Amino acid sequence: MTGPSVATLSRRYAVALILFVVSLLFYTVAALQTGQYSQLTFDGFMGLLERMVALGFVAIGQAVVISGGAIDLSVANLVSLCAVIAAYVMQDDPGRITEAVVIVVALAALIGAVNGALVALLGVNPLIATLGTSLMLQGILSVSYHALGGTAPKAFQQFAYGALGGVPASVVSLAAAALVTGVALSHTRIGSRLFAVGGNAKAARLAGIHDARVTIPAFVFSGVMCALTGLYLASRLGVGTPWVGRDGNYDLGSIAAVVIGGTLLAGGRGSITGALAGVLLFAVIDAVVNMLQIDPFLSQVLRGLIVVAAVGLYTFRTSGEVA
Amino acid sequence: MRRVLKAMPALPLLIALLATMIYMSPFYQTAPGLMIFLQRAAPLVVLACGTSFVLIAGGFDLSLGSLITLVVIAGAMITRGDATLTAPAIAAVFAIGLAVGAVNGIVVAYIKVPSIIATLGTLLSVKGMAMAWSGGAPSSTLPENFRYLGRGRIHDVPVLGSLPVSVIVLVVVWAIAHWLLHRTNFGSMVFMLGDNPKAAMLAGVPTRSVRVACFVVSSLTAVIAGLLLGGYSGVSVDVGGDYALQAIAAAVIGGVTLLGGRGTIAGAASGALALYALFTVLNLFGVSEPVRLAVQGLILIAAAAFTARR
Amino acid sequence: MTSATKHGPTVAETGVPILEMRGIRKSFGGIDVLHGVNLACRRGTVTAICGENGAGKSTLINVLGGVFAPSAGEILIDGRPVSFSHPAQAKQRGIAVIHQEFNLLPYRSVADNIFLGREPTRFGFIDRARMDREAGAVLDRLGCTIDPGAACGSLAIAEQQLVEIARAISESARILVLDEPTATLNDAETQALFRLIDELRRTGVALIYISHRMAELRALADTITVLKDGRQVATRPMAGVEIDEIVRLMVGRALEDFFPPAASASPGAALYSILDGAAGKLSGISLTLHAGEIVGIAGLEGSGKAELARAMTGVFPFSHGAIRLFDGGGAPQSPREAARRGIGAIPEDRKGEGLGLVQSLRDNCALTMRALAPFLGQASGGSRGRRQIDALLDGVAVKAADYAMPVGQLSGGNQQKVLFARLSGIAPKVWIVIEPTRGIDVGARAAIYAMLRGFAEAGAAVMVVSSDLMEIIGLSDRICVMAGGRLVAELPRGASEEEIIRHAMRHAPVEAA
Repeated sequence: MTGPSVATLSRRYAVALILFVVSLLFYTVAALQTGQYSQLTFDGFMGLLERMVALGFVAIGQAVVISGGAIDLSVANLVSLCAVIAAYVMQDDPGRITEAVVIVVALAALIGAVNGALVALLGVNPLIATLGTSLMLQGILSVSYHALGGTAPKAFQQFAYGALGGVPASVVSLAAAALVTGVALSHTRIGSRLFAVGGNAKAARLAGIHDARVTIPAFVFSGVMCALTGLYLASRLGVGTPWVGRDGNYDLGSIAAVVIGGTLLAGGRGSITGALAGVLLFAVIDAVVNMLQIDPFLSQVLRGLIVVAAVGLYTFRTSGEVA
Repeated sequence: MRRVLKAMPALPLLIALLATMIYMSPFYQTAPGLMIFLQRAAPLVVLACGTSFVLIAGGFDLSLGSLITLVVIAGAMITRGDATLTAPAIAAVFAIGLAVGAVNGIVVAYIKVPSIIATLGTLLSVKGMAMAWSGGAPSSTLPENFRYLGRGRIHDVPVLGSLPVSVIVLVVVWAIAHWLLHRTNFGSMVFMLGDNPKAAMLAGVPTRSVRVACFVVSSLTAVIAGLLLGGYSGVSVDVGGDYALQAIAAAVIGGVTLLGGRGTIAGAASGALALYALFTVLNLFGVSEPVRLAVQGLILIAAAAFTARR
Repeated sequence: MTSATKHGPTVAETGVPILEMRGIRKSFGGIDVLHGVNLACRRGTVTAICGENGAGKSTLINVLGGVFAPSAGEILIDGRPVSFSHPAQAKQRGIAVIHQEFNLLPYRSVADNIFLGREPTRFGFIDRARMDREAGAVLDRLGCTIDPGAACGSLAIAEQQLVEIARAISESARILVLDEPTATLNDAETQALFRLIDELRRTGVALIYISHRMAELRALADTITVLKDGRQVATRPMAGVEIDEIVRLMVGRALEDFFPPAASASPGAALYSILDGAAGKLSGISLTLHAGEIVGIAGLEGSGKAELARAMTGVFPFSHGAIRLFDGGGAPQSPREAARRGIGAIPEDRKGEGLGLVQSLRDNCALTMRALAPFLGQASGGSRGRRQIDALLDGVAVKAADYAMPVGQLSGGNQQKVLFARLSGIAPKVWIVIEPTRGIDVGARAAIYAMLRGFAEAGAAVMVVSSDLMEIIGLSDRICVMAGGRLVAELPRGASEEEIIRHAMRHAPVEAA
């Protein structure tokens, strides 16, 4: 018995494949219908992939946290904070890019660690713990607009606008992050432990796995992913604004993308490919809304409905009471 | 005495904060001043009473803030400043509240989506609806009679001078919520649902109907809070803001446990008053928004950690 | 001292037993659950432990498995004393326990589960190929054809059990405890398990096998230890032991006479009749409950008796069968319907399924009445008034300082009484109670028995599902015995324990394999 057969592989990736095909079909049809053939060129598709980057990083982090049996609702405000601080530290000076990146990533990791500690060491429900952290971050953000103004230097904007052989650098980074995370989850002991704690905490404990040693790193990872999105947004917009996270609905969006992609809300099973497929679906919805010139606010209504419907598809078979 | 404290654990805190408030500011040393305080706190108190139903049943309702925004914007868009259209506008917003509550309840009770996700989804959709309707920048104003609940006053009241209508609304909602939760069959079923949903189901409780009703109640209080807020603040883009979380924090301070099954309306209401008094005091000290939000976050976490210990 | 059995050569054994438990005592909250139990196991043998529910078998296994430490006594492995405070430590010493509830990760593969926490790695990455290969090897040794890459959740129960055993072997277990392993297996699977046990025995593993199925124990065991009420009452070599003797050791105790007298009149009208009912693993159920009688439903673990009660009260409704109730309608389809129509159901787990532990006695007592009344009706109005609720609580003689206190603070017996008070409020025509006196002290038991007889005398039909044979015998006017999801016998009042157990154990593996 060497590796999984083709049959097993395609079954494992079935959800992601279906989402992938459906999304692209939807996109292509909309482009053809509205006569926007430019959307179907290489550049057009690259543009579509670019729409995935911001939510993509966050979704990868969220997939890890949810697979471990928790959830992270502080992502939206964390993204905003990272964007703001990145711009602030850089102050339009290319020499300070490295410094900014280090500070932002470290800060996000710290906040992630706090989340993880609240959940694993103090036993606080992850929903409440991360909601609470989110509130505190919001507090900082509300002063930041005046106190922490700044801009990202042109050199940094390479991250968002640069390209490697026609493929945007940001997309390459996302792909790299997804690949590394996916491999780690399925081929390392860390991944194995994460799924164990998320799937059956009791069985994990009996096997000698400490849940704190799994939960805290998971939240730290999620924080770092938010930092990447924050940096990307600062690079793309040139400035860091405190509402960029909320406006992007990264909290609900990342949870939805992850769940739609086949990761169980309860933990124990997860797929990075699936999460990205979910992100692609959202990117396509955004693109199509654009093409069809639908009121952006209405698209938000649509998003809310789709999220609940998608999660509902998984949960409606639950027996017993749900609060 | 012990029973009073058990029902309203926030009472000592409230008294202490009120005392500080009164001491620090001559404004609050007068009856009209205190009435203004109550008028401003009314929306939060009303909302805390409503969200308690969902909390005690074991869930969370995060959509209330955006519902408040929708109510205010709907009011503005339907009436467009014309006082004769107030009645239909008010009917419409109650219908909207009913619908949103029902949807929340059905998604949680029948489709079994956890309430956090379900109400986050509603939050997005409702906010989107509000934005779409007003085009992102609501320009209309609300007619005077629409704003009566929030801004109106009854004059020539003995001792108090003039009594804001919001205070009356506060008292009425408090009373009705208290009756509903503590005196009706429905209320006792809400408690059991939060304490042991399986036992409730096996004992014959219609758990799904009860859950839907809880969400409807909280949404209706959001409508009332919206009418109050629209009344004295007028129309703005994000009137509702983070009221949902504030209401939860208020209820938790007031003794409503996050695990469900325990709490009182009096507790939630006094918790809301205490929270609002806290903000007022912080304001008097010259402390600003970020600290307020940070304090809220800390309280929420502390409350959850405390419950986890139990 | 060698131990040869009819199943071929085993590792001849002299000297120190691989496992010894001496004078194991365990108490919880001041109540002794185990009173000085001794057990010795040799390599390559099967030691059977049997006893009724509540005899202390699970506690003994939990002590051995490191779930908790004994209050007194010692455990020796290979003659050396050991102690553990965590199951992982017990595992390190070579003790593996296969519980009735498996600890597997359903979404991970068989190989993942077998190697959980100790996956083989190559350059930091999990060596899947090697893991699958080694898992396959262990599974082969156990004689099964499970694919190591299959998800555990997709396997049948029997296969999942094999995965648990494979994990134990892979972790080099030398002492393997199997807790009622055949409860969920069919005959073919049971035979396969026996072959596996033989194989393990040949390789020198010491097995501890807990079961009540005499035919199995006869086929497998070398020695048998009987536990009763936390005490070890006998340890015998299996050869030459008669079933009767074992049963007598398991069950025999003086029938304390605190049971109320039998029914004063002959049974009245049929209030609940089932013909050929089926639900889940229940099949061919034909049963009628009459007014004025108490029917006892007896059966061992896995017999389906609790499932029968749940089907009759609408929790997991019947899927087939002709069912008629006293009001002319068919089987209730939900607990709410059952309550509305007048069926009083007492659930098996009073804390998990019955009471809101934070709510007051009054609120718990009034729950069903309030649930059936209009939403906006006054909770404590009319027939649900405070005085009426208190009267119900007085009626069951619940001992509590204040009816407003949280019910979680009461003793088990009083909590159970509150449940009875609750259902009394709807004046049921049919009472269906599961394990009414589990974990309850003697005084409260007598009160509950009197209550049940009182209901019957007042014209209701009472059905009592219980694992406590003494209770069944003392209470019932008629005893129905279940095994394997079917009703296998109906016995009159006065039947003996031996008779009941004999019928209950009838689910033996087919003689001609």
